[in-house]
Amino acid sequence: MKHEIREEQGALVVAFNGDIDLQSSPEARQVLLEAVGKNMPILVDLSGVGYIDSSGVASLVESFQTARKGAQNLVLVSVSDGAKRVLQLARLDKVFTICDSLDDGIAAVG
Amino acid sequence: MNDTPIPKASETASSESQVFDHLELLSQMGQDFVSTRDLQSSLVRAVQHITDYVGAEGGALFMLEDEDTMLECQACVGVTEITGLRLPSDQGIVGRSVQEDAPEIIRDAQNDPRFYKGVDKQTGFTTLSILCAPMSVKGERIGAIELINKKSGDGLFDDSDLHLLRAMSASAALAIHNARMAEALVEQERLARELELAAEIQRSLLPSEPEDDFPVFGINFPARTVSGDFFDFFELPDGRICFNLGDVSGKGMNAALLMAKTASLYRCLGKTIEHPGKLLALINEEVCETAARGMFVTMVGGIYDPKTGIVLMANAGHEPPLLHSASGEFSELPAEAPPLGISTMLVDEDGYPEEEFDLEGGALYIFTDGVTEGYKKDGSELGAEGVKEILSKHQKDQIKVRLNTIAGKIARSGEALRDDLTLIGIDGAAAQVAKKAAGQSENMNADIGEGGGEGQVLGAETMSSLRILSQPNRLKLVRELVAETANLAGCCMEDTRDLVIAVDEALQNVIRHAYGGAPDGDIVITMERQKEDLVIYVRDHAPTIDPSNVKPRDLDDIRPGGLGTHFIREVMDDVEFLPPPKDGGNVLRMVKRIKQ
Repeated sequence: MKHEIREEQGALVVAFNGDIDLQSSPEARQVLLEAVGKNMPILVDLSGVGYIDSSGVASLVESFQTARKGAQNLVLVSVSDGAKRVLQLARLDKVFTICDSLDDGIAAVG
Repeated sequence: MNDTPIPKASETASSESQVFDHLELLSQMGQDFVSTRDLQSSLVRAVQHITDYVGAEGGALFMLEDEDTMLECQACVGVTEITGLRLPSDQGIVGRSVQEDAPEIIRDAQNDPRFYKGVDKQTGFTTLSILCAPMSVKGERIGAIELINKKSGDGLFDDSDLHLLRAMSASAALAIHNARMAEALVEQERLARELELAAEIQRSLLPSEPEDDFPVFGINFPARTVSGDFFDFFELPDGRICFNLGDVSGKGMNAALLMAKTASLYRCLGKTIEHPGKLLALINEEVCETAARGMFVTMVGGIYDPKTGIVLMANAGHEPPLLHSASGEFSELPAEAPPLGISTMLVDEDGYPEEEFDLEGGALYIFTDGVTEGYKKDGSELGAEGVKEILSKHQKDQIKVRLNTIAGKIARSGEALRDDLTLIGIDGAAAQVAKKAAGQSENMNADIGEGGGEGQVLGAETMSSLRILSQPNRLKLVRELVAETANLAGCCMEDTRDLVIAVDEALQNVIRHAYGGAPDGDIVITMERQKEDLVIYVRDHAPTIDPSNVKPRDLDDIRPGGLGTHFIREVMDDVEFLPPPKDGGNVLRMVKRIKQ
């Protein structure tokens, strides 16, 4: 799994590329928590993530909860069908704000 | 009809009208015999008619009795009552007439040496003239009609009277013969009806035809209407199947009755007594106590467990059941105890000896000698070899097809059977499949634990198997293997995705919880196609866990751990930990039904 962080229109875009599984989720968790620490709205771009497991979902949840504490917005962008299925199984598809594109995401956090 | 005035020959004017009246008399007599079931009174009326018609003072009808050694007067009219009089069938005028099947006339009795004057002396009657004509049909002697003293003229008969009597006695003979035949026919029909009722009751003692996939099947074709053979099978409350087959010595009604008794006893006792040997001993006592002398029953009784394929069986003197192994070999299981109904002394206290064996996917056949000794179409006996040949040829067919094929070789429509034809078969194939599936966890040790992946379930295909170390970086490889395998097995995209999730989460649990993060544990993943199911086994050698502790966690409390188990249960159709293998570790079995 690789990741890329960039700022776009006042928001922090965290883009993952590759599977987020037991192997990679500790890294994903660290990346996300560090991003949340920057105190900006966060767009988690999952367009390059074909697979995410329960540990990856847990990392998302943890960073989402941390962001909420600091009244930060954290939205998911371009979620693949595979990742959506996992979120749905975890009953989290209604908890997260899921946007179809980066533009929608920026609008959502703006 | 009795009121119809009978014209008298002596009173008729012309020979033409005499013939007409004569025919009418015969026709009336015939009808009288047919229309009444009371032969005796028909005989009396016939004698009356003939006596009046010929114009005699008296008449008597004698019939042969006691295997034709005696003649007995069955009907009598006139001055002397001799009904019931019995004479040796070779004596006197009547006797001679019957023996020679020829009419007799003694025109002047008082001056004829052939006449025995004893009767006259007893009765005070004076016999002037005697006519006697035999009654016979197609050489079968029935008796004779004798007339005494002509009323008109000089009281003596002449040849024309003899002709007349001869014609009428022949008609009477035919009427009696027909009446007897009719009576016999009625009796025969009554017996046939009773026999058919008995057969119906007997058929009701046989079990009704089971579902096609039921492992036990039986056939009974009686050689006659009723049968001395029987078979039965029924399910016990725990799912085991109680079965039996028996053959009563002899045939016919007495054998059928003993069959009904034995079969009923077995069905009744079989529901509570779970040891066939003990059960046979009880039935033996009952049959010994009450059965007719010389009758006995050979019988095999047993219990089959379709879950394990194990048969518990006892044999009371029946011909050896045939075991046909899954690999095609035949072996016989001879009886070690005498038939039922011979003696209670010959049976051990514990009952008849029992034997227990595993069908191991093979089949057990029990039959009566009507099967092996039955005639084939070409007239030769089917024989034990013939039976084996059919069973080998049809080994893969349903048990029902196998038995029907055997029966079809012997029982042909429109042809009588040589003997009752009865056979029962127990098919262990289904049990073997079930047992293999249940025993999978144990087999995993040897086969999958060594990295192999032999299919353990009949008809199952091991599609993929992978042995990995308990390290997270192995998971991507597993996911790809699962996806490819599911795809190959025909799963749709969504199901494939779900299968990947389930296996991935299962492996995570093993790596994180079972092995506690240790990187040197081994995990074997095996994917099998079992008919419409994709079955996945995840085998580890970590300390055995208590499955009751593995629970999906509450979704409101979203934190790592537990969520994966929830995913697995959500996407798989069946998830279970199999009983712990002997050498430790755990086997998780997950099943996904493949949608068509």
